[in-house]
Amino acid sequence: MRRLALLALSLAAAGSLARAETSLDWTPEQVRAVAAHGPWPPAPLFDPSNRVSGNAAAATLGQHLFEEPRLSSSRQVTCGDCHQAGRDWRDGRARGFGMVELDRRTPSLWNVGYQHWFGWDGAADSLWMQSLRPLLDAREMASSAPAVAKLLREDKALACGYERAFGEPPGADDERLIVGAAKALAAFQQMLVTPRTPFDDFRDALVAGGRTAAQRYPPAAQRGLKLFLGRGNCATCHFGPLFTNGEFGDTGIPFFVRPGEVDGGRHGGIARLKDSPFNQLGRHSDDVSGVASTRTRHVEAQHRNFGEFRVPGLRQVGRTGPYMHDGSLATLEDVVKHYSTVSPDRLHSDGVPLVHPLGLTAEESADLVAFLRTLDVDTPKLPPPLPLCP
Amino acid sequence: MRPWLALLSVLISAPAGADCPLDLGHGTGIVIFSDLYMLALRPDPLRIEVGQPFALLMNVCTKGGDPAELVRVEATMPEHKHGMNYAPTLKANGDGRYRVEGLLFHMPGNWEVAFDVRSGGEVQRLTHDFILK
Repeated sequence: MRRLALLALSLAAAGSLARAETSLDWTPEQVRAVAAHGPWPPAPLFDPSNRVSGNAAAATLGQHLFEEPRLSSSRQVTCGDCHQAGRDWRDGRARGFGMVELDRRTPSLWNVGYQHWFGWDGAADSLWMQSLRPLLDAREMASSAPAVAKLLREDKALACGYERAFGEPPGADDERLIVGAAKALAAFQQMLVTPRTPFDDFRDALVAGGRTAAQRYPPAAQRGLKLFLGRGNCATCHFGPLFTNGEFGDTGIPFFVRPGEVDGGRHGGIARLKDSPFNQLGRHSDDVSGVASTRTRHVEAQHRNFGEFRVPGLRQVGRTGPYMHDGSLATLEDVVKHYSTVSPDRLHSDGVPLVHPLGLTAEESADLVAFLRTLDVDTPKLPPPLPLCP
Repeated sequence: MRPWLALLSVLISAPAGADCPLDLGHGTGIVIFSDLYMLALRPDPLRIEVGQPFALLMNVCTKGGDPAELVRVEATMPEHKHGMNYAPTLKANGDGRYRVEGLLFHMPGNWEVAFDVRSGGEVQRLTHDFILK
């Protein structure tokens, strides 16, 4: 009798295992849609507007500067205070905090180098331009070009690191030096690329026709992926290997940051971009081809940009909450619930709306979350920076 | 032979298009036409990717051999009734040849590109659909 019970238990376990390894049917069109979200990792990065992009000495300088409190006017705030290495390069708060609390969430820096627009409103068109913003913003590090330039000139180790990165010692042009610091910070951040995920293994197996390998991907995640690509309409914006089209959208999150004050998002971002001397059209861009500035030359502010925010990539999404530009949703489950129940009255569209209440069941919501969590992966610990000069 | 290649061959050999070079090189291109106009266009790069800028190389001709001008290019998603986030610029290279810079389709789906052309006073709009997956 006891043997029979054990046999029954074994058979039940085997049955459960068989169910867990079941692969759903994928049409050729669905396989093509899945394939569009890879391969991963993409080709190594090079930003033509940053002459030290991909330069190891610049990345080392940038890693030192990233944790340098003397870059702030109070000598107490670093880039790494908000973008914490041990917390997936974000702070985990709903809203960032520099000198004071900010109006938007600190985004993770994973894969940031692959973006084309930076900040929630896309007010920067390069990673080095974006790296300047917190240095100069009175609410964050509240520094200045003369202060950063003085530090680079007078600190022997930083001056040596600068010379190794740029091939010349820190000069007399303060603005050029703070831009140099930002370009080194960008060279460091470009290295922050997430490893392959369970989704990537499934995607590659599916594309290669390897049914057995594809079966290792949990059925709930497969169902969630089908929702993501299909009825959920998520992949319209969260498209490609980064799971973002790199542009902006209105997701139905209220505009108000406090009573009587709104965050206009992309609309204001375009205005700030065009007004800035640090954009790709200015004297600090190193791109002689003009290719890197194509978006900046042609971007056009439109009324619908008001209240739009950058579509974030979804790699590592399960570990980088809270969510949305204002950190107003605490968990992935909350995000899925938002898109399931978002009010159509809040969203304006003359045609078929991109965001509309999905009306997901509890099981569908759980499947979508299961899929999103397969975009997460353990990441290796970043080694401490090499010495600036031996 | 693909239908548009067949059409291209026919149009290139047609007497009305004798002075209008519709072959844009690389052995490929798209030809659209109306009663008055013929437009040849080729994306650069050839494969249009979601979220990536591209240009269009164009030749704009009239069937009667009169000079024609490309006035405006814009793209919309008819289903969602929104356009691009970018305003393309036109660069005339003489003899009806143009390079349209700064196009970017930021979503997969059907994009309708409209070309406003004129020869003399009246502007006529020709369109072509690109489907991105």
